[in-house]
Amino acid sequence: MFRYILKRFAQFIPVFIGVTLLLFFITTILPGDPVALRAGEKKLSPAVYAEMRHAFGLDKPWYVQYVNYLGDLTQGDLGTSIASGRKVEVIFKETYPYTLKLALAAITLEILVGIGAGLISAIKQYTFWDTLVTLSTSILVALPVFWLGIMLQYVFGIQLHILPISGASSARFSDFAHLVLPAITLASVSTAYAARIMRSQLLEVQSQDYVRTAYAKGLSPTRVLWGHEMKNALIPVVTFVGLDLGAMLSGAILTETIFNWPGVGFTIYKAIGQRDFPVVFGGVTIVLFAVLFVNLLVDVSYAFLDPRIRFGDASEG
Amino acid sequence: MSNRIRKSMAVALVLVMVFAVGGLSACKSETETSSGSTGGTLAYYVGEPAYIDPYNTQESEGTQVEQSVFDSLTSFDPLDPATLVPAAAESWEANADATVWTFRLNKDGKFSDGTPVTASDFVYAWNRIASTQTMNTSTNQVEASSIAYHLAVIAGTDEFGNADAGISGLKAVDDYTLEVTLKNSFGDFGYLVGHPALAPVPKALVEGGVKYTDADGKEQTAAYGDMPVGNGPFKLSEPWKRNQYIKVVQNENYYGEKPLIDGIDFLSFKDPNTAFTEFEAGTLDFTQIGEGRIKDAEAKYGVSTNGYTANPGEQVLLGAENSIYYLVVNNTIKPMDQAAMRSAVSLAINRQAICDNVFEGTREPADNVVPPGIAGYAAGVWADAKYDVEGAKAALTEAGFPGGEGAPEIALSYNADGGHQKIMEYVKADLEAIGLTVKLNPTPDFATYLKELDADKIMIGRLGWSADYPIMDNFMFPLFKSGSTDNYSRYADSAVDAAMQAARANPDDAARLAAWQEVNKTVGAGLPVIPVMFYKHHHVASERVHDLTYSAMNLADFTKVWLDPK
Repeated sequence: MFRYILKRFAQFIPVFIGVTLLLFFITTILPGDPVALRAGEKKLSPAVYAEMRHAFGLDKPWYVQYVNYLGDLTQGDLGTSIASGRKVEVIFKETYPYTLKLALAAITLEILVGIGAGLISAIKQYTFWDTLVTLSTSILVALPVFWLGIMLQYVFGIQLHILPISGASSARFSDFAHLVLPAITLASVSTAYAARIMRSQLLEVQSQDYVRTAYAKGLSPTRVLWGHEMKNALIPVVTFVGLDLGAMLSGAILTETIFNWPGVGFTIYKAIGQRDFPVVFGGVTIVLFAVLFVNLLVDVSYAFLDPRIRFGDASEG
Repeated sequence: MSNRIRKSMAVALVLVMVFAVGGLSACKSETETSSGSTGGTLAYYVGEPAYIDPYNTQESEGTQVEQSVFDSLTSFDPLDPATLVPAAAESWEANADATVWTFRLNKDGKFSDGTPVTASDFVYAWNRIASTQTMNTSTNQVEASSIAYHLAVIAGTDEFGNADAGISGLKAVDDYTLEVTLKNSFGDFGYLVGHPALAPVPKALVEGGVKYTDADGKEQTAAYGDMPVGNGPFKLSEPWKRNQYIKVVQNENYYGEKPLIDGIDFLSFKDPNTAFTEFEAGTLDFTQIGEGRIKDAEAKYGVSTNGYTANPGEQVLLGAENSIYYLVVNNTIKPMDQAAMRSAVSLAINRQAICDNVFEGTREPADNVVPPGIAGYAAGVWADAKYDVEGAKAALTEAGFPGGEGAPEIALSYNADGGHQKIMEYVKADLEAIGLTVKLNPTPDFATYLKELDADKIMIGRLGWSADYPIMDNFMFPLFKSGSTDNYSRYADSAVDAAMQAARANPDDAARLAAWQEVNKTVGAGLPVIPVMFYKHHHVASERVHDLTYSAMNLADFTKVWLDPK
């Protein structure tokens, strides 16, 4: 097991270097000067300008900057934002918990509602419930996220006054209430997809031989569903949900903007516009680690759940 | 196969576990309620400020917050920014040639921690701005101010306003007398020192941090940059909660007239449209009106009679701001080096159509670069800054391109990330209507755009200019002085340079204003840039807000505002 974790970490290194190297290279071809941008349309004195470029290491070639970045990273230093002068880790310490909170809320919704709706729809095929799920998921997939967000704000915030419109906390509403609308908005499209995948997979496995065999053995429909059908049908759904969680952990620019949610998506987006490279690299680094961490947790817990699996030996996969 | 199912279940399990932990940490004690509600708390929209420490407040958002916490030497009357009013200085005077200025401080002036404000606090504050070695207290790193240019007129600073050894032209004569020696005569210096960033700061707190009691009743120390202590009507009640809010409450040590409200919550929004939605739900008291909602808001909330002051039923503010949107024309690139060509372009543009169709009337056509809110504005002073198609055609002929024949292609540049595309499309259509061939030349963002502008690669571009100080000088000197860093049109006229220096030097207020008006007329005759629009407010206050004035300088006066009890 320990060897397996080490191996996973080793695999992470080339991925990390590949992504960051590419990113660093892109910064060399992106026009725009972060230090000049800081001052807006007013110009800085050449001395101050040169000193700032030096302080941020921008006067060095990109590969030297890259080596310095890696060096700082090994000491846990993500660098300093050029736009605000603040430490990058401080910026993300403020924002990442919100991204995490929103991503987990959205993914929970996606799992519960998506899989639940898909399940009902497949079991009650061609009934009212099936039509309802199929129709509503079609509509949900087609709705632009920002429109849905704005409509939710209008209905629950302005008309009904039962949920906060934006922000992560307020005196009037609980923090949980603040999470509801952004989580629904962020989860909306993926939930619809998850439901549709769940439904089609379940319908597909229903006609498989092993399902017929299970029935022939005399198993009750419930046991066939949970013991045989679901296990197989869930696999693509979980793959989809896993990928989606990875995406959510890197922030959600649209949702964060509409709901004024203080997460990393908007922070990174803004940093790109300001050419605030340390923040962009810091964000990418944190997101890479977060995704790795979730993947690793999943794989490791998998070994605990199934005693037959021992990582590192030939039985893997 | 079975492995994969286990894996699926494991994913779900991990998610549930992680979420449970996240959920726990999300629980927190009840948010504290505001103390005593006689005056109420104003919920005020801001974009996230970059800095609120005066040493580096640069954009309107940070300045708005900062000026509620600080008073500079002078201030501008909110309804008539051209009128200077006393603030931290109760009086001031200049010597005969306006090179030495003496400010007498109000002796009751105190920082919100109770320590008196003295002349040396100004010397310290201004030296922090001028030094390239100043510490940003929020990050504990050396970070030079980006706004040292304010100080470039003071003796002992370089042309960018920097002075590492301390500004030699600054002198605290005694505790309550500040003497400032300038490089050259400058009759409007009293306006310059009204800039919110030039406020005094207490050295002990800047360097030692600011003590406060947190929600759990524990003593904490905040960096000065996160919880600046000033001499203004309000003080921060807790450190800046970045990306969320800045809360200020009444400063009981304020020397001036006490505000009527208890405090202000500056709520930070990424998107003004979200802020407007909050406003409609009744959770914000003052904000920008959302895109495409101006007419709707006018009908629903009523329009302020003077354009700047909000009261119930007169809640929408549409007053002109002291800012201009103009086309920057590089006077060294052919064919725009010809004045007749610049006139042709200017006369061809239907400014009213842009204001009405793109901005729902929240901008107004500009007839020169000096906005109407600035003393010295005279309507129509730039003869060719208007819409006149026949005149444009005649100018084009004069430039040697009758009907556009033989004219080089005109390139209109703009940054694609700032909402300029629609404006430029209107301009393009207008120029094509007089026979010119035009191409749009967007750059992906402002960073790229600025670089091209700097490298003289842009024939015609766009820029905005907002007044730092409400004086004509602030529109003329930076934009048209030869060699000025903001002079992107590369306009250079030694006679105009001399006239500007002379105008600055004039100690007589009326004569100085007349001299500036003359400069404006001379510059306008050559049309070095093409004025397009003056910005207007597009803000709205809630129904419970009384007497909130949001000035042409985009600063709210929080001292008069009062609220109906909720």
